[in-house]
Amino acid sequence: MTIATRSKKQITVNIMSSAINTNKNHENTSASNSAKTTIIIGVIGADCHAVGNKILANVLGRLGFNVVNLGVMVTQDEYIDAAIEHGAQAILVSSIYGHGEIDCKGMRERCDERGVSDMILYVGGNLVIGKKDFADVKVLFTEMGYDRVFAPSDDLEEVAEFLTMDVENKQSANQQWIVA
Amino acid sequence: MEIHNKKLDKKSLLEERNDVLQQWPTGDAVDLDEAMRYQRDIPESKRFSAALARAETNNKTLLQPRAGVALLSEQITLLQHLQNSCDLLPTTIDAYTRLNRYDEAQVGIDRSVKAGTSLLNGFPAVNHGVKACRELVESVNKPIEVRHGTPDARLLTEITMASGFTSNEGGGISYNIPYSKRVSLEKSIRDWQYCDRIVGLYAEEGIIINREPFGPLTGTLVPPFVSHCVAIIEGLLALEQGVKCVTLGYGQAGNLIQDIAAIHSLRDLAHEYFKDAGFDDYKLSTVFHQWMGGFPENEAQAYSVISLGATAAALAGATKVIVKTPHEAAGVPTKEANKQGLETTGQIINMVSDQKMMPSPSLTQEIELIKREVRAIMTRVFELGDGDIARGAVAAFKTGVMDIPFAPADCNSGILMPVRDNNGAVRVLEKGATPLPDDVLAFHHDCMAERAKVEGREVSFQMVIDDVNAISQGKLVGRPKDPVLRAL
Repeated sequence: MTIATRSKKQITVNIMSSAINTNKNHENTSASNSAKTTIIIGVIGADCHAVGNKILANVLGRLGFNVVNLGVMVTQDEYIDAAIEHGAQAILVSSIYGHGEIDCKGMRERCDERGVSDMILYVGGNLVIGKKDFADVKVLFTEMGYDRVFAPSDDLEEVAEFLTMDVENKQSANQQWIVA
Repeated sequence: MEIHNKKLDKKSLLEERNDVLQQWPTGDAVDLDEAMRYQRDIPESKRFSAALARAETNNKTLLQPRAGVALLSEQITLLQHLQNSCDLLPTTIDAYTRLNRYDEAQVGIDRSVKAGTSLLNGFPAVNHGVKACRELVESVNKPIEVRHGTPDARLLTEITMASGFTSNEGGGISYNIPYSKRVSLEKSIRDWQYCDRIVGLYAEEGIIINREPFGPLTGTLVPPFVSHCVAIIEGLLALEQGVKCVTLGYGQAGNLIQDIAAIHSLRDLAHEYFKDAGFDDYKLSTVFHQWMGGFPENEAQAYSVISLGATAAALAGATKVIVKTPHEAAGVPTKEANKQGLETTGQIINMVSDQKMMPSPSLTQEIELIKREVRAIMTRVFELGDGDIARGAVAAFKTGVMDIPFAPADCNSGILMPVRDNNGAVRVLEKGATPLPDDVLAFHHDCMAERAKVEGREVSFQMVIDDVNAISQGKLVGRPKDPVLRAL
């Protein structure tokens, strides 16, 4: 999820003219467009790995999302604050340094407490200490309340496809609830 | 905050120490006089400065792993498992301690005890304290260095130096910009002046502790001149505080000629700037870091990346090499995987180190290129600081004269953008505000134009992304997947 970009099609953007998210980490919002899905991204905890985060912001921005990038060392509440402020549909949590198990726990409960219980939560990266079977990691983080769990090698375009699908499902579920 | 490259006054330093040692209860156990007696009794065989001096004399490249887990008994087991496959030992510190979050490190220790396995990515030395750290140092048979990523390492330095660690990695720039988000450069440089001054106090008593600025920075396509400037500045700052033994580092970029040229030029330039500043009473050595970017998941491929790094380190004549492991793609390695990385590297070092890299026009050209780039930046840094390198460094980052690609820190411009050329050497795609000479920039431009032509596409940020991912996907240069590859 962090840096893998096995793009099926080449996306070429002239470096001089594109708003690449490489200058500053904080609150890097691409041109606001109400039709776009707003997502919050950032690296959780005491983790300072910035490379994948910058690439994730750039690629998801080019794939049509309104990306609010909180950069590195983000707390659970900072993600949720930003999601509420920007009316985001989803929070994408990254963790590379191995403390993911400690840092990511309680995020779903915190969303419930803050009144955004329908927030789509993704998590990706090297989430635990050591080389573990990814199926086990997936179970661990799904049980914590994350909707999808990604490995570093996962294709970012697939992440984007899941995101679009999950946002649509969430919106139609909300509409059905209103009708009922 | 005003900052100057001046030796810190001893009286105010000792006052500051009282506050530093109260940051966490374990600080109480640090007694400088007692610590110096303890350091003096450490045998030569376990002293970093002695091992580096021997390696320099014998043209040997020493092996050092990275290693750190949450609990003392586990850390002892880990280092004992590695010590006979390497020359120098590390203790890598966890990420909470690096940010002075000792209460969170304690949670990590407690949960690790409960889980029966380390849930931290390093050894929380401050929480463990002097007594436990000494037990660690006394349990191993090699010199041991504290390796971390701490912008304010004052308490960590006090505790680890008092515990018998004989080397300390870091610096006010190299442990701020790649490792933090909102720490001012003035603060981190000042806090590292403190760390260097403590090492200087030991030196005044004849105890030589090694200091190693962190070479690879963000570890991702960092052009050699960028990391060289940081290394030289941190070397100058350390020498000013009384440090006598400095190891300057560089992270493998992947092109053999560029990597060898980087170590050669780093050594020459460091002596040049150190002597110009009036220092002659110091020992200089170099460290080559095997590839710090993304690794292949496949372990056989990972061994190849490790082997190329080992080859470059030996051919370049680096004093030591920091070794990666076949588990790198997955994060913190097992002790077995860590040892396998060392054994792979050891075999290559042994086979390559008797061979000499023949001088060649391309190597000479690359060395000269790096030297011209570094001198252009350094001249401007000195100007910005009115001759004071500490003030100059702060101003240089503020104005983008110095700029580290892919760094998380707010005090870094992040406009300078690197990309590989057609031979895989790292070149400058977007110079930002770096004052590189016009003919140097023209050379970088020509290198990229050559690659763009071969790949049949424009030079773009997609090329940079492809380069960031290339090694983990089995290549050096991030070539396009589908499009026509002319002449390939």
